Amino acid sequence: MRIKVEKRLETPKIVYIIIPVASILTSLLFVGVLLLAIGVNPLEAYGVMLSRAFGTKFGFTELFVKTAPIILTGLAVSIPLRAGLWNIGAEGQLYMGAFAASFVALYFYPPIIVLPLMVLFGLLAGMAWASIPGFLKAKFDLNEIISTLLLNYVAIYWVEYLVYGPMRGKEVYNFPYSDLFNDYAILPRFFGTRFHVGVIISFLIAIAIYILITKTSYGFAVKIVGSNPKAAEFAGISRKKIIVSAMLIGGAIAGFAGMMEVSGLHLRLRAAVSPGYGYTGIPVALLARGNPLFVIVAAFLFGLLYVGGSAMQTTFGIPVAIVDVFQALVVLFIIGGDFFTRYSISFGEKGEKR
Amino acid sequence: MRFGGSNLVSSELNSENKTEDNKMENKKILEMKGITKIFPRVVANDKVDFEVNAGEIHGLLGENGAGKTTLMSILYGLYRPDGGEIIFDGGKVEFHSPGDAIKAGIGMVHQHFMLVNKMTALNNILLGYRTPKDPLMDYEWARKRVEKLSKTYGIEVDFDEQVINMSVGEQQRVEILKALFRDVKLLILDEPTSVLTPIETEKLFKALRRMSEEGLTVIFITHKLKEALEVTDRITVLRRGKNVGTLITKDTNEKDLARLMVGREVEIVIEKKKKESGEPVLRIEEIYAKNDRGLPALKGINLTVKRGEILGMAGVSGNGQKELEEVIVGTRKVEKGRLIFNGEDITDYGVGRRVALGISCIPEDRIETGMAPSLTVEENLILRDYVKFTKNGFMDFEIIEKHAEKLIDEFGIKTPSPKVAARTLSGGNIQRLIIARELSRNPVLLVASQPTRGLDIAGIEYVRKRLISFAEEGKAVLLISEDLEEIMQLSDRIAVIYEGKIRGIFDREEADLEKIGILMSGGFLEN
Repeated sequence: MRIKVEKRLETPKIVYIIIPVASILTSLLFVGVLLLAIGVNPLEAYGVMLSRAFGTKFGFTELFVKTAPIILTGLAVSIPLRAGLWNIGAEGQLYMGAFAASFVALYFYPPIIVLPLMVLFGLLAGMAWASIPGFLKAKFDLNEIISTLLLNYVAIYWVEYLVYGPMRGKEVYNFPYSDLFNDYAILPRFFGTRFHVGVIISFLIAIAIYILITKTSYGFAVKIVGSNPKAAEFAGISRKKIIVSAMLIGGAIAGFAGMMEVSGLHLRLRAAVSPGYGYTGIPVALLARGNPLFVIVAAFLFGLLYVGGSAMQTTFGIPVAIVDVFQALVVLFIIGGDFFTRYSISFGEKGEKR
Repeated sequence: MRFGGSNLVSSELNSENKTEDNKMENKKILEMKGITKIFPRVVANDKVDFEVNAGEIHGLLGENGAGKTTLMSILYGLYRPDGGEIIFDGGKVEFHSPGDAIKAGIGMVHQHFMLVNKMTALNNILLGYRTPKDPLMDYEWARKRVEKLSKTYGIEVDFDEQVINMSVGEQQRVEILKALFRDVKLLILDEPTSVLTPIETEKLFKALRRMSEEGLTVIFITHKLKEALEVTDRITVLRRGKNVGTLITKDTNEKDLARLMVGREVEIVIEKKKKESGEPVLRIEEIYAKNDRGLPALKGINLTVKRGEILGMAGVSGNGQKELEEVIVGTRKVEKGRLIFNGEDITDYGVGRRVALGISCIPEDRIETGMAPSLTVEENLILRDYVKFTKNGFMDFEIIEKHAEKLIDEFGIKTPSPKVAARTLSGGNIQRLIIARELSRNPVLLVASQPTRGLDIAGIEYVRKRLISFAEEGKAVLLISEDLEEIMQLSDRIAVIYEGKIRGIFDREEADLEKIGILMSGGFLEN
């Protein structure tokens, strides 16, 4: 048999659906092999994951709580991605948002303005953090992958420094925590669970962003820049303005995610505010191909993994790191799957002798 | 076996004599039998039989999309055929890569050169070649060999010059020597004259004749009838992926070839009526600008484009045409000088403002600058005016679709729907899309850069007529083209650009190819 690989002239739409689905399935398969290797029946493990997320009220609301920040980071990656930029820095932008919101929560008053100011400062801090790589890219064409990635560590260690030092709480027994926020700095919760109002806001943001990037002239300009920067300049669109603004919007959303996590979930600033949601945003954006509505869908998948991951840890003693493995595999398979959008593969009848 | 060797010593052979030789010899070096190549939706080659005799110059003629390049890419091992077989130099061959083809003795000079810019000509020629002292490089041996080749075929190159500093013609000569260095028996040249001045073209033809005399076989891919008639011994015409005939060059003529190529009678010459031109629309005053590498590209350009005229700009590409196009559009910064549009100084205006004033442009790089490939056809049709298609900041998709349907119909853009990605269109249809967009904006000035490059004869006819009627409506056209025939046919006035300067401006009546050719290659006219 002879395998023929050829460049595609056009890509059938179905390929764009098959690739993400196949990437997820293959990743599940690979993780399954890993589970087998440590003596766990993968079907059983996946079963536990599902029953945790869908079997109990706590699990089900927890699914939403975990999904919400992933929606936001997924958006934070998606918008720059549409302009052709890789925002690997949603994690750092989230941390800066968490820091700014916590600062407001702990030191500002009167109470009535605290929550709105937390939102505002969270947005601004994420924006400011994202503006650095955005500006460097627009002005000096500095690779945004490197600058966003490296700034993550700066932000994460900055928050760690604060909670080990100046912002460490008085009653935390040497844990790297700030004091608990006052009630007025906490997002309302529902159903007697951790389901907080931020979850609903996350969905609303996704819809708003969907409208912004698919229906408005700004979204159209972003799309042109992402498709062909030279054509954008030719059309009178300032590539630099689009680059910076797309990064700013992405950063603001990630910053809000940080605010939401401290105000809705942890109720204080602490080290490890996020278990890597900023990075999870990358496969989410890739799976969704930058479409905010699909971001919601893809975020649920990863939310499920986070919820299920902790269930697997308690039931089988599997480290939650398995979630990271799964994420990495999805990214690899999607990027690898891109090959099939550009090339077609066919199988010949029989070998030919030479 | 070099049957032409002795003749070389005596004197130059004329081509007729040689054809006789070939006929006597009549040994086939290449047979391609029933070659079929199917791409999605297109049969690029449909059971093509193609034969080439040893020592001849064989023209492969056809319109864009006729399957010439596909056929040659199959021969050169770039594509695998879906059917058919290739017999080369007496045996059946199957090439899996260009490497196989080169080993067998086939060389190809592509339309876009494959040279390393920062290396010297000699190093480029040696690239990937194992000299006798391998793994050490034997420059002494190589230089001797290249110099001998250069002398034998009359192909002059400065071997120690870096490719980046070479003219396009010289780069092409490096490519040819690179192929010859590898002892090819068959050399394929893909549209080699498209980048050359008339003088360089003559030189190339001379070299090709020398190769043929020396027993080398040449396949010359072209869509220019005149050139095929001038230099080849036989011509094979492809149309829509089929071989529609192989002719002996001296027994045929331009008209017959055109009919074979297109499949119907064609109007080869389109006449533009002489018109009195009116007010100046665009005045370019002492413009200086740099190219992408930061070197001076425009060195004091002065030019006026008037209402109702087509001003043709002749010149070999790379002499500042692209920079001039970008300066007028507004995507390139001006170092010095002024642009006056309808009496208004627009030097500092951004692209958007110039678009609004009525400056349209068919850019030279269609796909790189002219369109956003992943966007749909209808989106590309509003690319430069998208702000006009909004209501309170929201895109008005209904009007966008109507607009697209109107233009698709009016300009004959072949697309399955306005909603498919523009990159799925063929080159000719992308061209139509851009022309539709730029003309439908009802501009005052149109900069048309190589507007017919890559089009088939019908498309060329269409675009040229469109440009003429556009000028007749009282608009101004700046036509930048490497195709001198096109310039001569369409222009009211002709400006020649060379190394960033205008070297002469003629009214059409006083312009002739020879004068323009001299100025294009940097020469001066005697007064």
